Amino acid sequence: MQLRSRRRRSIAATVVAALALMLVPVAGETSYIYWWQRNMPSNGLGYDRITAHNHNYNELYFGPNAGWSSEVWVVTPAGYRHFDKRCTGICFNAHPPYYYTYAYCSNRDGGTHFVYDCMDQW
Amino acid sequence: MTRRRIHFAAVLLVAAVIAGLLSQLVLGGSDKVEIGNGSVSALARAAHTTDALPQSVLSYPFAARNFASANGNGSRLLQVHGTLRLYGVPGKEGMLCLIEVDSAADTAGGACADRSVLLTGSIYMADRQEDGSRLVVGLVGDGHTYAEANGRRVRVENNAFVLGGVQGSSVTIGSTTATQSIDLGG
Repeated sequence: MQLRSRRRRSIAATVVAALALMLVPVAGETSYIYWWQRNMPSNGLGYDRITAHNHNYNELYFGPNAGWSSEVWVVTPAGYRHFDKRCTGICFNAHPPYYYTYAYCSNRDGGTHFVYDCMDQW
Repeated sequence: MTRRRIHFAAVLLVAAVIAGLLSQLVLGGSDKVEIGNGSVSALARAAHTTDALPQSVLSYPFAARNFASANGNGSRLLQVHGTLRLYGVPGKEGMLCLIEVDSAADTAGGACADRSVLLTGSIYMADRQEDGSRLVVGLVGDGHTYAEANGRRVRVENNAFVLGGVQGSSVTIGSTTATQSIDLGG
């Protein structure tokens, strides 16, 4: 009885694993994944050091009354900085996904305004 | 007693007004030099087919969030430098946007800021190059005639400039009578 139950469980687990393996690549092809951070404080740094990816898009958003210094960039796990763009106000940088990197953005002028969104895409 | 208080308050008020006036006259209300009135003539000229933004730029989340119209209506091609193209685009709520597209590098970037920024500076982007220098592109208001860094000066054309090989953290822009400094950060 116990043996039959264990066999059933193992068959069920195999079916679930097979379904997951079939569905994950499909989901990856049809959806974007965003990382974002909101309400960064003045002179704050937003970053995603958890998931390195071949990013192709970074954006920093202050809201429509922007005029402050900002910066978006990516850094490889080895510490090399790429696609570093300093800007006035709201800023984006789109580029080929050459490098396996972490995403960063910063409000650089130390004022009392928030960065509403710091976002990347791959 | 009451009269003394009124006198004291009046003296305080006069002192505050004098201090305010002196600080404005001696120190200046703002230490930033203004050039022009924030208008950008290049955006007002008649449109050509080449002024349309590439579809790839319009498809970024940036376009929907910041352009006055999601399809980039009113955009103007400001400059072409080899494979690099600069566009000016009307933004939401009084903002203006500068867009750069490099077809060879397959890169694009953009910056949107309040139009008032153009009075005292530029809506710029400074891209770090492999050699550590920066390629600085900027949108400026009417009246600006040049941009300069490291002793190299380029002309403003169609309210825009392209200045390569910038070392350090400062770019100077100016008119025939005044100069302004853009701080690129450290």
